[in-house]
Amino acid sequence: MLKPEPESSAGEIAIRLRDVKKTYGSDGAPVHALRGVSLEIGRGERVAFMGKSGSGKSTLLNLLGGLDRASAGHLSVAGHDLGRISRRALARFRSESVGMIFQSFNLIPSRTALENVELPMIFAGLAPRDRRALAAHALEAVGLGARLDHRPSALSGGENQRVAVARALVNRPRIVLADEPTGNLDSETAETVMTLLLEHVAQNGTTLVLVTHDEELGRSSTDRVLRLKDGQVAQ
Amino acid sequence: MRLADLLSLPLVALWQQKTRTLLTTLGVIFGAFVLAASLSIGDGVQKTINREMRRVEFARRIEVSVSWGPAAPAARETRIEGTFNESRRQRLLKSQQEMSQRTRFARPKIALNQERLALIRALPHVEQVVPDVNDHGFAILENRSVNTTLCRARPDDETCKKRVVAGRFFESPAENAAVITEDLAYRLGVRSDAALDALVGTPLVLEFRAPKTEAPIGLYLANQNGDMTLETQQALETLMDRLPDSLEKLGLSTVAAAAIRGALKKPEEPTKPMPTTRETLTIAGVLRAPSDEELNAPHEYSVMHAGVLLPYETAAAVFFRGPDPKRKEGLNNASVLVDHEDHVKPVLAAIRGLGLEARAMVQFIDRQRLIYLLIFAGMTCVAAVALVVSAIGIGNTMFMSILERTREIGIMKAIGADNLHLQLIFLIEGAVIGVVGGILGLLLALAASYPGDSWVRSMVNRDLDIKLEDSIFVFPPWLAASVIAFTALVAILAAVYPARHAARIDPVKALRHE
Repeated sequence: MLKPEPESSAGEIAIRLRDVKKTYGSDGAPVHALRGVSLEIGRGERVAFMGKSGSGKSTLLNLLGGLDRASAGHLSVAGHDLGRISRRALARFRSESVGMIFQSFNLIPSRTALENVELPMIFAGLAPRDRRALAAHALEAVGLGARLDHRPSALSGGENQRVAVARALVNRPRIVLADEPTGNLDSETAETVMTLLLEHVAQNGTTLVLVTHDEELGRSSTDRVLRLKDGQVAQ
Repeated sequence: MRLADLLSLPLVALWQQKTRTLLTTLGVIFGAFVLAASLSIGDGVQKTINREMRRVEFARRIEVSVSWGPAAPAARETRIEGTFNESRRQRLLKSQQEMSQRTRFARPKIALNQERLALIRALPHVEQVVPDVNDHGFAILENRSVNTTLCRARPDDETCKKRVVAGRFFESPAENAAVITEDLAYRLGVRSDAALDALVGTPLVLEFRAPKTEAPIGLYLANQNGDMTLETQQALETLMDRLPDSLEKLGLSTVAAAAIRGALKKPEEPTKPMPTTRETLTIAGVLRAPSDEELNAPHEYSVMHAGVLLPYETAAAVFFRGPDPKRKEGLNNASVLVDHEDHVKPVLAAIRGLGLEARAMVQFIDRQRLIYLLIFAGMTCVAAVALVVSAIGIGNTMFMSILERTREIGIMKAIGADNLHLQLIFLIEGAVIGVVGGILGLLLALAASYPGDSWVRSMVNRDLDIKLEDSIFVFPPWLAASVIAFTALVAILAAVYPARHAARIDPVKALRHE
């Protein structure tokens, strides 16, 4: 298991960024996606990042999820200094500490709903019987108990996103990162998905970082809205 | 990640791409088939050669012969008469000397006599020493005599055993017995089946006479049956004694009479009574004449055509007791049987150490084996090339698969797969293709070996008249293990680059990949 670094004195900080920068392309014309972002997000807090396309929202989310590394600055998530840990530890961090939900669901089409939800637990090394039970339970929790053996192509958009939510939550991560989770859903389905997500977050004290264009969704679903502009926190 | 999951993920991925997996595996199957067939037939042919050679004792046999020295010096110096230039004189002298040399017998440097035969017999690992005795003399049965050839035989000579029509064949190499042919029995006056059967157990006398002189003219006096009896032999000798004195009565010209008188002139050596030896043996059996099939089969000519056969040790003893002074110079050849083909070479060296010539089939067999080894090494190389081509196919297929699964790889990374997991997943995919292809290729080779073996058997039987007892395709455990291990290794190596590529995929880019 990963050993998180000591948290802040109050023990409340889940995410801390200090002057985090991300630049793409070192030669020629570098693109500065993030230009020194500093912020803190408390444990169990729900934060929305909003901003125009290209403002750096997704880049920030990728850094928080350990999918990418910052070019400069200090980034601590769930007690892990993501700038320092090894690739292997970073993979374990992704498996155990964060759950990610994407706009386009990112389910593996050749696997059933149950198998998709099982996958993070496979990489976490859980026994087949345990993970199967947990995956089934997670899918039942999002209302898909009758759809365990359906492949993504046989499910609606809302159902696919519910499978993605189940997959993101099944390892009980301390932080959930959601990138436009309702972007591909109609309003009714979007509401259902967000309700499920927020219920889980509330019940488990999970930190939620939501990236969205939807002003109303951002305000209604989170405790705090942060706006990104040109790679910096504007407000 | 658990080991079972590490195995199941690649299997599931391969199953989901059935057609591609099948086509990729077909390449490996073909390579493994060629490799397995090549190794199988290579090993099988080697074993078949060894088995057949062991069966016919070729590989354990050493042929010993004497090393010939120069011929005895000519009685008089060769001279070229007449007036020739010097170079022509030298050429004529040389050809005359060579002709003179050909008319005189060479002497062995080292005699293959009883003492040396005993030395060979005493060598470690020597099982049997069969002196090559071929002689002629007179067979005497009661009051009838007839000239005949005699030859030594081995008691285990299966062809001779099949020819026995009365009595038995030899039981030991030294028994005081002889077998004679029906034809010789007839020439000795046997005129009924009952009389022929009654020969068994009766004594046979063999008389050997040394040539009285090296007569410069050969005369042959034949009776109506073409047989030379003791009486006709003696009459011929008397004729040769008296003929020079009778030449004047024949009305020959002076030159012709002088030429014949010169030819009949006796060497200037003291006349001794012609020595003879007699051997009495018991007739153990009677042989029929060899059939056409037996004559066409590879067998010694002298054994098949001799009138009298003696067990080989008895034959050698009889030969060395014979009257001819030349017998002291020993035999020309002997055949040595060694207990195991691995011991042939040391025995060969020991015999050569005695100053004798020795040759063994094992040397020829070794050359044959080398040729086969080279052929099968070539075939194996072709198989290896086929597998390399398959490997390129595997690499290509896996690379395409990875490109298609880029997003899936990104997803797996996003939910916790690390680089090592992904590398192992793709390496195991390669290994599975290699192992499955290897096993199927091996099974295909095994299946093909049945018709292949039948075809080779019929061809060998038809062209070489040899009936093979066992298959020329062999599949020992090492072969199966080697083929599967090799195909797995080749497939894994082919998967290394795609696997590393998969592990290095940037998850952020991969998740954007369509």
